[in-house]
Amino acid sequence: MIVFICGGSKSGKSSLAQNISKALSKDNPLYYVATMIPSDAEDKEKIRLHIEDRADMGFDTVECGTDIVTVLNTTDKNGTFMLDSVTALLTNEMYGDFGNIGVDIKAEERCIKDIRQLAETVNNIVIVSDYIFSDAEIYDESTELFRKSLADIGNNIAIYADIVIEMNFGNATVHKGKDIYETIL
Amino acid sequence: MELIIGGAYQGKIQYAKEKYNLTEADIHICDSVEIDFSKKCVADLEKFTFSCVQNNIDAVEFFKHNRHLWSDKIVICCDIFCGVVPMGAENRKWRQETGRLCQYLSKEAETVTRIFCGLEQKLK
Repeated sequence: MIVFICGGSKSGKSSLAQNISKALSKDNPLYYVATMIPSDAEDKEKIRLHIEDRADMGFDTVECGTDIVTVLNTTDKNGTFMLDSVTALLTNEMYGDFGNIGVDIKAEERCIKDIRQLAETVNNIVIVSDYIFSDAEIYDESTELFRKSLADIGNNIAIYADIVIEMNFGNATVHKGKDIYETIL
Repeated sequence: MELIIGGAYQGKIQYAKEKYNLTEADIHICDSVEIDFSKKCVADLEKFTFSCVQNNIDAVEFFKHNRHLWSDKIVICCDIFCGVVPMGAENRKWRQETGRLCQYLSKEAETVTRIFCGLEQKLK
């Protein structure tokens, strides 16, 4: 089962993803694939809150900031994986080491290929991404490339995902796979 | 008129091409105050409104007075309405004017479809 959840900041994406992952995992291993590489105290605090939020849910946390397929080296592919988030993964793949102002234009292509490979290898995966596509700001070229790449990756996942969910203020709109979704939660 | 809206890069034009069997030649991509209404589809309407703001043209009035030009078209506009209020006065006016136009077109449209990650959501 492949589930894709996309929504704005603090929309409840991760909470829903945790619940779906838990429901899908049954007795098999449950992995939280953490993609954010903390760069400051703010990131660390955000991570701490997420860890607190999923405490006692039975997740094994696997940290993987780039080359997402490598999580398979240390996990059981029969498990259920919660990938949180595509946004952080793309950030790491595109901007590389912090402080490097150049962008890797191959990042999008790599993310599309790697996420698909991971999704089609594991038993269940719940993929979380951010929705940053409906504002009236005019961005610099690098930020615009990031927005386009994140959208392209999401649109690609939506093609092969069994379920596609948009989150708004904790409410889920199921754009694809409504019948399957209702059997899970 | 069929109105298609959705965030940036969500696959709105691709959706229109598949749904209405359009080719590139059927689509006018806005980039100024001029729209080629001989085409079946008018896309990037937000770029038309941006030019209107720059040239002091009332986009809503233009559409109201030229119904015959677009009443059988497919119109595509980007949803630019969910971010923070833009810092620049021109961008604020752009968002405002695009919103007014979308509300008008939404009322006039036979169907309104929102595209999310390439998937359609019927709004009207």
